[in-house]
Amino acid sequence: MTNSRNKPPWRYWRPVTLARCVLLACSASSHLVLADAQQDMLVFVSLEGSKTFSASDPATEGFKDRATADFLYSYKGDQFRFLAEYVLSDAESELERLKAGWDIDARTTLWFGRFHSISNYWTSEYHHGKYMQTSISRPGLEEWEDESGPMPSHITGLWLEHELSHNDESVINLGLTLGLAPVFSGQELVPFAILDPESGHDLAISARVVYRPDVLSTNQVGMAMSHSDISVLSGSSPSLASLNDIRQLTLNAFSNWQWQEWRLIANLVYFHLDLHYDNGAVRDNFVLGYLQGEYEVSDKWTVFGRTEIATGEDDSLYLQLLPAVVAHRTLLGVRRDFARSHSLTLEVSKSKSKGLGLSHDSFNDLRIQWSAVFP
Amino acid sequence: MSIGRVSLVVVLLLGGHVAAAEHAIVLVADADSPINDISPLDVRKAYLGISTVVDGHRVRAVRRKDNGRLNQVFLQSVVAMSRRTYDRRLLSLVLKFGTPRPTVADGTDELLAILARSPTSISYMWKSEAETNPQLKIIRVLWQDH
Repeated sequence: MTNSRNKPPWRYWRPVTLARCVLLACSASSHLVLADAQQDMLVFVSLEGSKTFSASDPATEGFKDRATADFLYSYKGDQFRFLAEYVLSDAESELERLKAGWDIDARTTLWFGRFHSISNYWTSEYHHGKYMQTSISRPGLEEWEDESGPMPSHITGLWLEHELSHNDESVINLGLTLGLAPVFSGQELVPFAILDPESGHDLAISARVVYRPDVLSTNQVGMAMSHSDISVLSGSSPSLASLNDIRQLTLNAFSNWQWQEWRLIANLVYFHLDLHYDNGAVRDNFVLGYLQGEYEVSDKWTVFGRTEIATGEDDSLYLQLLPAVVAHRTLLGVRRDFARSHSLTLEVSKSKSKGLGLSHDSFNDLRIQWSAVFP
Repeated sequence: MSIGRVSLVVVLLLGGHVAAAEHAIVLVADADSPINDISPLDVRKAYLGISTVVDGHRVRAVRRKDNGRLNQVFLQSVVAMSRRTYDRRLLSLVLKFGTPRPTVADGTDELLAILARSPTSISYMWKSEAETNPQLKIIRVLWQDH
C-alpha cells in the first residue's frame, strides 16, 4: 500500500487520469490508416546461459538460463506513427512500449504512451534488442527496474522530440518527457503498467540533448537530466516502513564514438536523492558510470571489454534499498556474427553488488548467448 | 591489407564484371514523379531512413530484394556501407525511432507498382533495364564503370 500520509488526494487521481488519456489516444491513433503508410515488424530472440561462481555468498552461485523473444511493430503514416514492443521470456511477459506519435513537422514529433526513459543511454540505444548490443550483460546502472536498476526505465506520458540540422550535416537532437514515474516496492522500482494500471504513481520529467557531428554517422555525445518523484509502497518491505517518498535527480553525460574498427561507449551518471522518512529527509549522492570498448577484428569477430565504476555508493541509503545493484564490474568478451543476423557471444565478468551488509557481495559470471533478429 | 581495402577491391572487381553487361546503376522514380533531381547525399540519407525532403516532397526509398550484384554495388558505392552495417542501421531505425525500414520490392513488377502508387518514392536498377521501361524516369546515374 502506498504511504499516503503526506500527500493530497489530487496526486493520485491525476496520474491515473493522465494514463487513461494516454490509453485512449493510443487506441484512437492506432486506427488511423493513411495512404502511403509504411509498417514493419521485428522479432529479436536470444538464448542465454550464465554460471555464477566464486561468490562471496555461496547461495548466489549456480547456473541460469533464459530464452527471450522481443516483438516489435512500427507504423508510419504521413503524420502519425505507432510503436508497440512486447517482451516474452521464461521470466516475464510484459508490454514494454506502446506509443503513438504525431509528426508536427519534418523535425518534430510528439509521442504519447509508454516508452523507455530518454535519460538511460544504453536503454534508449538498444532497448530489448539483445542482438543489437555487443555485450550480453547491460551495465548495472542501466539495468531494467525488475533487475535492480537504480533509475526509472519506463515512463508513461508525453515525449517531445525535435531535431536541429545544420548545413555542415551535424544535428542536435532535443528530447523532453513528462510522465508517470515508477513506485518503489520491495527491493525494486515498479513502473506503471498500461495493461494493469494502478494509482500511486507520481511524475517524472526528463530532458536530453544529443550532438551528432554527422547525420550519416552513429557517433554522438550528449547530456541528460531527469527528476522522478518515486512513491514508496511502505508495506512491501520492513526496510521501507518509515519511508514515504524518494525524489531522484540524475544528471548524466554519455558518448558513443567509433573510429574505424574501434568503438567506445561511455556514460557517467550523478545521482542526487532526497529520501523522505517519517522523521525527516535524508540526502544521498553517488556516481555510477561505465566505459565499454569494442574492437572489430573482422567483419565477423568483435572483442570487447567494459569497466563499471562507482563513487559514494558505500554510504548510499538509496542503494541499501537496492542491494543487487552492480556498482563495480570488469568484463571481457568476444562476439561472432554469422549468417545474416545471428551472433554468438561469450563473456566473463567479475562484479561487486552493494549487498545487504556493510561489505559488498562479489561474484564472477561466465555467460554465453545466441541472439538473432527476424526477418 | 585492411578489411576495407579488401572490400573495395572485391567491389571494384565485381563492378568491373557487372559493368561489362550492365555499365551503370541509375536512380529511378515513376515517370510522373514530382522528383526531378536529388543529390547523392540525399539519396544516402533516404536509404538510411533519415527524413529527406526534396522540393517540398518527402522522399521514400525503396530497397530491392536480394539481387546480389545490384545490391552489393549499390551499398558499397552509394550508401558506402557493408551489408552488415547497413542492416544494423536499419534495425536501429525500428528499435530506436519506431521508423519502419524502407520498403523492399521483390522483382521489377513489384517495384514498378510501388513507384506508381507512391510518386515520391525512389529506387535503383541497372541502367539497361531502366532505359527500356517507359513507366520509369531516370533521375541520375549513381554508379558507373569507368
